[in-house]
Amino acid sequence: MGRKTRVLIGKVGLDGHEVGARVVARALADAGMEVVYTGLRQTPEQIVSAAIEEGVDLIGISILSGSHMTLFAEIIRLLHEKRADDILFIAGGIIPVEDIPGLKELGVKEIFLPETPMAEIVTYVRKIMGN
Amino acid sequence: MEKREEVKNLVRLKRLVNSWVKDCLNPFMKRSPERKDVFDTDIGLAIERLYTPIDLSEFNFDYEKDLGLPGRFPFTRGITPTTYRSEPWIIRAYSGFGEAEKCNERYRKLIEAGVDEIVMAADLPTQVGYDSDHVMSKGEVGKVGVAIDSLRDMEILFEDIPLNRLKRVSMLGNSFGPIALALFIALGEKQGLKPAEFVVDLQNDVLKEYVARGTYIIPIRPAVRVATDVVAYCARNAPHWFPMTFCTNHINAAGAGSSRATAFALANGICYIEHLLKKGYGIDEIAPLFTMFLDERADFFVAICNFRATRRIWAKIMKERFRAENPRSLALKITAYSHGGETLLEPINNIARITLAALAYVLGGVQFLYNASYDEVLGTPTEDAAKISVRIQQILANELGISNTVDPLGGSYFIESLTTQIENQIFDELRKVEEKGGAIAAIEKGYFVEHISEGAVRRKREFDEGSRISVGVNKFRSESQIPKGAFRIDPEAEEKQLKRLVKVKKERNEKRVKEALEYFREALRTDENLVIPALEAVRAYGTVGEICEVLRQEFGEYQAREYFFRKG
Repeated sequence: MGRKTRVLIGKVGLDGHEVGARVVARALADAGMEVVYTGLRQTPEQIVSAAIEEGVDLIGISILSGSHMTLFAEIIRLLHEKRADDILFIAGGIIPVEDIPGLKELGVKEIFLPETPMAEIVTYVRKIMGN
Repeated sequence: MEKREEVKNLVRLKRLVNSWVKDCLNPFMKRSPERKDVFDTDIGLAIERLYTPIDLSEFNFDYEKDLGLPGRFPFTRGITPTTYRSEPWIIRAYSGFGEAEKCNERYRKLIEAGVDEIVMAADLPTQVGYDSDHVMSKGEVGKVGVAIDSLRDMEILFEDIPLNRLKRVSMLGNSFGPIALALFIALGEKQGLKPAEFVVDLQNDVLKEYVARGTYIIPIRPAVRVATDVVAYCARNAPHWFPMTFCTNHINAAGAGSSRATAFALANGICYIEHLLKKGYGIDEIAPLFTMFLDERADFFVAICNFRATRRIWAKIMKERFRAENPRSLALKITAYSHGGETLLEPINNIARITLAALAYVLGGVQFLYNASYDEVLGTPTEDAAKISVRIQQILANELGISNTVDPLGGSYFIESLTTQIENQIFDELRKVEEKGGAIAAIEKGYFVEHISEGAVRRKREFDEGSRISVGVNKFRSESQIPKGAFRIDPEAEEKQLKRLVKVKKERNEKRVKEALEYFREALRTDENLVIPALEAVRAYGTVGEICEVLRQEFGEYQAREYFFRKG
């Protein structure tokens, strides 16, 4: 048993829908991970600084506003700039399927769309964290 | 004498039911057991197999006291004597995206299709009081709605659409009500219309933003003053307008369940009302201006009964607690939005879901109705999908005889039992909120959010386990691809909007804007109604962002809380 997986669940930009973010945060915590949820309306800078400060292994961003392309690119740029590329980045929300390949190319590890069973997200996170 | 007759009938009925259970039901259930032990609802009430006059007698049901007649206290059966026989409900369309010109085109097409009311969907920067050129606006301009920086945008959005051609015109404006109202007044002036000649409707319910919707700007207490100023202004200057809507919808959508969400919305409403009474407004001056945005998406009959119960509750609260005397104060006007349960897989099925939700709301006696578009789960609705949503309402209003009689389900043993049970649930929950110290205290203590989060987790668990069925997703699933989002926002919309903003700022009288903004600041510090200075600023093409910046400077910004989730 290594240390517990640490996760930051965040809301970036002005989007105010936080049901999904809270439900995922709760599920990952119930699966034994340490989870911090940022609350609404964070900038990419705030997300990346909080992730580094909290020493998380994984960032999970929920977005329903359609601004994912701009905001995710900025998060990834900042992770790189702050030499924190080892922090994995996953996302979920209302994201058109045709945008997914582009987001993965940018460096988003996985995208979870609405209706994804929670167990699938938990299993995925455990797998990429190697346990 | 009459009473004795009733008791005798009940005794006879109970005997009949007992024999039915023994000789009919039990043998049948042996061959054909029920599908589940409990037929549950999202509000935690179990639905019984059968309802009879026995159930009504257990609630001491009394026709005159509990139902009365439509247009009279307690308004359970409706707020007018004829309901839809005189006039159908108002058909609204919630729409806004990308660029103002394109959006204006969409509005005109919707009106051509028969929409009575346009509800403008503003983009997120606008909703939280940032101009399109603010650093936080990057990537968000025109995305979930249309950008409204200044009166100029309103002029383009309503080009060739005189406001008096619509039955109502609407914007949410939850965190900047006075500015939203001012934008409509100023637009009316541009079109040569006085406030008496058109009707404005706002959501302007800022309290629920702190627990469910998230477009807050300033801290809670000053925000209540900002919102109630709009009601105060309309009470004296445009009493036929709808300056505030107490919202159940978002609180339920976020997870609270409809009974609890209705109680929270009523608690929020009571908070605004008390604020206004303290300022010296009379209850009969303000109550007729309020509407409620009700919602129940998981159960058809719960939706109908929630509407009927809430009308009764509202009438009782207004009469007994606030001593309102004007019949218009006691009659609750209801807004609803047909949505919920729409799926990403096989989205065309969402047309059926939206239709049934709309039917429930009509059977519940709604006044203002809008429908989601079947493709909304993929992104901004396409034009065809938006039109279908309007057609659904027109079919309900004109075909099938649905609107031919008042409160068609009234008197049903089931409907009346459920209406009373829901009324009790809402009153109980409202009492709990009041014991916590009312809406603001309950929000600050995290009471609302706690219940919302619990409900969201429960719903997701039920969905994953399969007890909450979504056809084509967790039951009867067939191989199907997630469809592509059909509608794309013009990628240049943000750029175009920024250029327009620069132009507006260059052409306006800077001195006049500065003076108006200082006047707005002065009004914030004194107790002058904010609509008047907001109107000055808007007329001078001061921007939403600039006026909201004054709010932020004076009151500071509301900070979202960070939460740690632990195993629990």
